[in-house]
Amino acid sequence: MIVPAIALNTFREAVRDKILYVLIVFGVLMIAVSRAIGWVSFGGEHKIMTDIGLTAIWMFSGMVSIFIGTGMIYKEVDKRTIYTILAKPAERWQFLAGKYLGLLLTTLVNLVILSAFFIAYLWLCGAPITLALIQALFLTFVEMMLITAVAIFFSSASTPILSAIFTTVIFFSGQLTKWVVELGASLKQTAPWVGKVVYALYLMLPNLHNFNIRREAVLATQSNLQIAIPAREMIDCTIYGVAYTLAVLLAAHLIFNRRNF
Amino acid sequence: MSSQPVIKTEKLRMVYHPGLFERAKVGLEELDLEVPPGSIYGYLGQNGAGKTTTIKILVGLQYAVSGQAWIMGTDVRNSASRRTLGFMPENPYFYEYLTADETLEFYGKLSGMERQARRKRADELIHTFGLAHARHMPMRDYSKGMRQRLGLAQAILHNPPLVIMDEPMSGLDPLGRRDIRNVILSLRDQGTTVFFSSHILGDVEAICDRVCVLNLGKKVAEGRISALLTGRVLEVELSASGIPAGDLPEVKNIAQRAWHDGALYRVLVDSEEKAQQVKSMLEKAGGTIRSMLPHKESLEEYFVRVTSDPARPDGAAEEAPVIKAPAHAEETRA
Repeated sequence: MIVPAIALNTFREAVRDKILYVLIVFGVLMIAVSRAIGWVSFGGEHKIMTDIGLTAIWMFSGMVSIFIGTGMIYKEVDKRTIYTILAKPAERWQFLAGKYLGLLLTTLVNLVILSAFFIAYLWLCGAPITLALIQALFLTFVEMMLITAVAIFFSSASTPILSAIFTTVIFFSGQLTKWVVELGASLKQTAPWVGKVVYALYLMLPNLHNFNIRREAVLATQSNLQIAIPAREMIDCTIYGVAYTLAVLLAAHLIFNRRNF
Repeated sequence: MSSQPVIKTEKLRMVYHPGLFERAKVGLEELDLEVPPGSIYGYLGQNGAGKTTTIKILVGLQYAVSGQAWIMGTDVRNSASRRTLGFMPENPYFYEYLTADETLEFYGKLSGMERQARRKRADELIHTFGLAHARHMPMRDYSKGMRQRLGLAQAILHNPPLVIMDEPMSGLDPLGRRDIRNVILSLRDQGTTVFFSSHILGDVEAICDRVCVLNLGKKVAEGRISALLTGRVLEVELSASGIPAGDLPEVKNIAQRAWHDGALYRVLVDSEEKAQQVKSMLEKAGGTIRSMLPHKESLEEYFVRVTSDPARPDGAAEEAPVIKAPAHAEETRA
């Protein structure tokens, strides 16, 4: 009962905060203008709409996690609301899990609203709704599970500004891990130590590129084909996302559990 | 009622490390404490004495570096210990976007209360604390007094046998303080143990059964107020009529102060022996004694005495054992 109570309260906080609505409105606007960009772009209206729409959903969902999540734990300590919560028979992991699930629910609601608008918009504009598109949206949610955990991790150990910087860096650099490993390999001969550091970085950073099948979804839309990412690949990506999320949450718990308030 | 202490600590020690290049600060030094059930227990000390630190350890917000503490026999590191307590922090803060109803609903869930029970109890408390008119108002619109009352309501929502409060009367107006005092007294009447820290010693003296005085993280006195305040007379004020104008040199010699106040001659002395001497002198000078008022030591004066000179806490009665500071604690403070 404690975890759902904290999660629902966290969700309620986000719902009553203006920032969520601002992000949803901007996301909707970005999806809406994608058609106009499609008209003036080379490569087909539906392709551009799908490309911009999926990117907008990914970006604004990430922004919800970062903007709301990175100050979450800090604010509880700073405003001392945590005092009356931890003085109840709540374990610290329950508090952290509740905050995480509440933020994840907020991100999910944001993602569902934007996705619903996006799919309805594509349908109204006569664009095909492919399975790859739905898969891309699903993996965006898995990616958000991980980013939300990263935001909670930094929030439990640092100030909101630092947490936001670190989480944003991970959000974007995690997309580049494919190139990081290539860079590490190319430095192996010329600067072996730098190569090792870069490779270690690759191992530590979450490989968010795994969740990026937006290109495939765009191609499916462009070619109007009901192609799909193989189920095995989807399952592997999901397992990777869930495992990494649990590891980050465990690390957050280890830090949070030692703290004095 | 069980005689097991509601709160017990053994050699509880806390050290803070403010920064890399700053010296560690001792927050608590080997604190032994036993709070009997059914009492109102006042926890006193100057700012930084360790009151809030103790409370935070008891409610699970901080971890002691050594020693142990129990609530109703359960180690405070076990979250089950918090099932039997309600906590009201100093200046309680709540989620600004929640109403009083939503706030109590939330804390009821955290306390493990069933839906019907928590709604009924929340409704009862909202009326008891005079918040019915504001129950649908968000917290951000609440005054300090209203927050304080809601803080108390969330602490006693699940009817805990122990309520811990950190400076519950801090910053309240006289009426607000009276309300909190009355709630504390009614809780005691219902068999609840109340443990609270306060700077407002008049209130503590009026309602507490026992007190503990901390100084620089160490317990310097503990016991029943009646045993600590032994009736030691600090001053005696005499007033007499019929004393001719002008000074009485022999009285002036032993008095702290002597002065004419209309038809009366007033004398202030610092002991009962001197008061008897002055009384004889005034009668000898042709005066009639109108009053002799002894001024006994109050809790505030006792507090000042034991905390300003920790090496001489001689006000301790048989029920108020004084903890002698360990040698290493003196070194830390130095």
